[in-house]
Amino acid sequence: MAAITYIDAINRTLHEEMRRDDTTFLIGEDTGIYGGVFKATRGLLEAFGPERVIDSPISESLIAGMTVGAAMVGCRPLPEIQFADFISPAFDQIVQQLARYRWRTNGTYAMPVTIRCPWGGGVGGGVFHSQSNEAWFMNVPGLVMVAPSTVRDAAGLLRAAIRSDDPVLYWEHKKLYRSIKDDLPEGEEIVTEIGRAHVAREGGDVTAITFGYLLHETLKAAEALSGDGIEVEVIDLRTLLPLDTPTILESVSKTGKAVVIHEAPKVGGIGGEIAAILAEECFWELDAPVRRLTGFNTSFPAAKTMEDYYMPNAGEIAAALRATAET
Amino acid sequence: MAEKKTKGKKKTATAEAVTESAAESQETGRTTGEGAAPTGEAKEDFQALQRRREDLALDVTRAFPDKYRISGEMEGCSDAAKIDLLERLVRTRTFDARMRRLFRQGRFEGTYYSQIGQEACDVVIAAQLEKTDFVGPSHRDLGASVGKGIPLTALAAQVYNRVDSPDGGRYTACHYWHPEYWVMQPSTSIMMNWIAATGAAFGFKMLKKKGVAVAFGGDGATAHGDFHEGCNFAGVHRLPIVYIIQNNLWAESLPLSLTTALTDLAHRADAYGFPGVTIDGNDVISVWNTTRKALQRARGGDGPTLIEMKTYRWFGHSDIDPADYRSEDEVEDWTERDPLPRYVAWLMENEVLDEERLEGIRQAIRQEVEQAVEFAEASARPEPEAFLSEVFVHEYPGFDVRAGR
Ligand SMILES: Cc1ncc(C[n+]2csc(CCOP(=O)(O)OP(=O)(O)O)c2C)c(N)n1
Ligand SMILES: [Mg+2]
Repeated sequence: MAAITYIDAINRTLHEEMRRDDTTFLIGEDTGIYGGVFKATRGLLEAFGPERVIDSPISESLIAGMTVGAAMVGCRPLPEIQFADFISPAFDQIVQQLARYRWRTNGTYAMPVTIRCPWGGGVGGGVFHSQSNEAWFMNVPGLVMVAPSTVRDAAGLLRAAIRSDDPVLYWEHKKLYRSIKDDLPEGEEIVTEIGRAHVAREGGDVTAITFGYLLHETLKAAEALSGDGIEVEVIDLRTLLPLDTPTILESVSKTGKAVVIHEAPKVGGIGGEIAAILAEECFWELDAPVRRLTGFNTSFPAAKTMEDYYMPNAGEIAAALRATAET
Repeated sequence: MAEKKTKGKKKTATAEAVTESAAESQETGRTTGEGAAPTGEAKEDFQALQRRREDLALDVTRAFPDKYRISGEMEGCSDAAKIDLLERLVRTRTFDARMRRLFRQGRFEGTYYSQIGQEACDVVIAAQLEKTDFVGPSHRDLGASVGKGIPLTALAAQVYNRVDSPDGGRYTACHYWHPEYWVMQPSTSIMMNWIAATGAAFGFKMLKKKGVAVAFGGDGATAHGDFHEGCNFAGVHRLPIVYIIQNNLWAESLPLSLTTALTDLAHRADAYGFPGVTIDGNDVISVWNTTRKALQRARGGDGPTLIEMKTYRWFGHSDIDPADYRSEDEVEDWTERDPLPRYVAWLMENEVLDEERLEGIRQAIRQEVEQAVEFAEASARPEPEAFLSEVFVHEYPGFDVRAGR
């Protein structure tokens, strides 16, 4: 059994799910003939034809918004936003229409739509190809957001998202596309439950809460600290919205300490929401202030020197975890 | 319990009073002093003007200048279908005028978007659709819903935000929709329906279902990027869709000249590789023939059509808008181009309709409208907590709809 990459897992799952359900269709920019700018959708046009694999014009509002009508008449749409950075033209359709449509119609319609968004820094992309803009959507009722950090979850969360009847933003991290591999037996229908975080590493001294590429930096940091007798419990969020509050609370109640780590700027980021939940729900269990280690409150820089500085790394994460653990 | 009872009684009593006053006004052509007493002189003028214009709107047999006479033949339209169309037009107008008055009487909250003057643009195409064809209306498309056959009771309940509205009162008044009739719920954010209807047309095509979509938008809405994105995509994929622009010359207070440098918005279709037609949206014959062809094109796999219908909204953008940015002359001219008297006159000339039959239709519709009003007023107000559901289909361990309280 050959190990496959994160992007292979996405591609394979798209093939499997489109084969399984012929009401699914894919729409995005350069997704058909070209197989996607990252090749996440390669082979799909050949397999399913131009009726179900649509090379869209550069029209993000259309890509996201047309899914509402298509879903109403019986489709299960799989739109792709080429880079998460370009989701802003689709914002109105996602926020006002897609996410709210079920609520607005008093439950008449489900919106079984999975929007794939390649996101994240560390790929030398500059400000328009590196952002972590998940927090833009945190305040939107009716929307689900998942962000796989492993190859297995890339497949499992995608399958779960596609089969879900709620609209899901699926955040796939560009830096993980080809940098991690795992053995995923062909034909195994991996499903990762949406709404549940995963304890990626157990430990009793401090809880690290993160997702995406930074999970791997955090795990490295945790290994390093273990040598010094600090045991870090690492939570891989997997689902960003709605956050798995029970799992977070359970872990932090045990360790009494928490550090949230993400790429996005600090202000208004997911870390703030998690810190607020901890302050409200387990204040009396806390032994130290909640710490946030995040991107800077700037836009994402281009030059490699700057980019490396912007991205939190294992060393910084270890330092933050140690400081909190030793508080 | 006792309190509830009193409330219910009171409601019925008022509903009757309202009914009487309306019936009286329609018989005599004058209105009694309904609603809150106007305060200033300006307000009195405004209220009186509104009432006068509503009375005019209800007088569908009135005379109009010869130049606005309509002629020709309605292709493939039986006499029965012509009368059916008339009924739907009169139903839309009567309902609309009634709601306007009820709004001024403070019978429901929010505001009211009147379509009076523009009905033909909506009703004529909607009446030709199969039940499962998809309609994407906007905020001024009462006629699309009435035209497609949604019962007035459901529409009135929507205006009143009551439990019997299709969304149980949680969405927005006047944003008419109904799942059984495949009229989608309009989004208040302009042009979302344009894109959604385009998506529905795509879905029909992909799933190999028969079915067409019809999207409605205003002149102002054609400046929105979604107008372009929707039309462009539909053109590329030759989707089974008809796009209707109701060019009523104004987008809220914005004149057409500040929306576009074009005079005829149908030219926009040239950019998308499908036909665009400009017609008199107040000429039922022309609207019928043009929309019929466009629907045939859509059903036959020939792709989209954009139809610009020149029309006019008689009243404010919503009923809190005095629309004093428009000249009285302009409004007067357009009231003479009212689609209803023009159609009625043509039907009578062609002996499809006579006075007696028309009176019968009007009577029956007045009754239907009153029943719808009674229904809406008797329909319960939603429980305060009734909106705390249907955020998601699935359950998630961390989701608590009440977390903030
Ligand atoms: C995206 C968006 N911007 C602004 C508004 C406020 N608004 C509602 S209707 C309207 C004017 C629409 O004009 P037009 O498209 O000509 O339709 P009409 O009202 O004349 O029928 C405006 C500005 C809105 N609802 N949505
Ligand atoms: Mg307008």
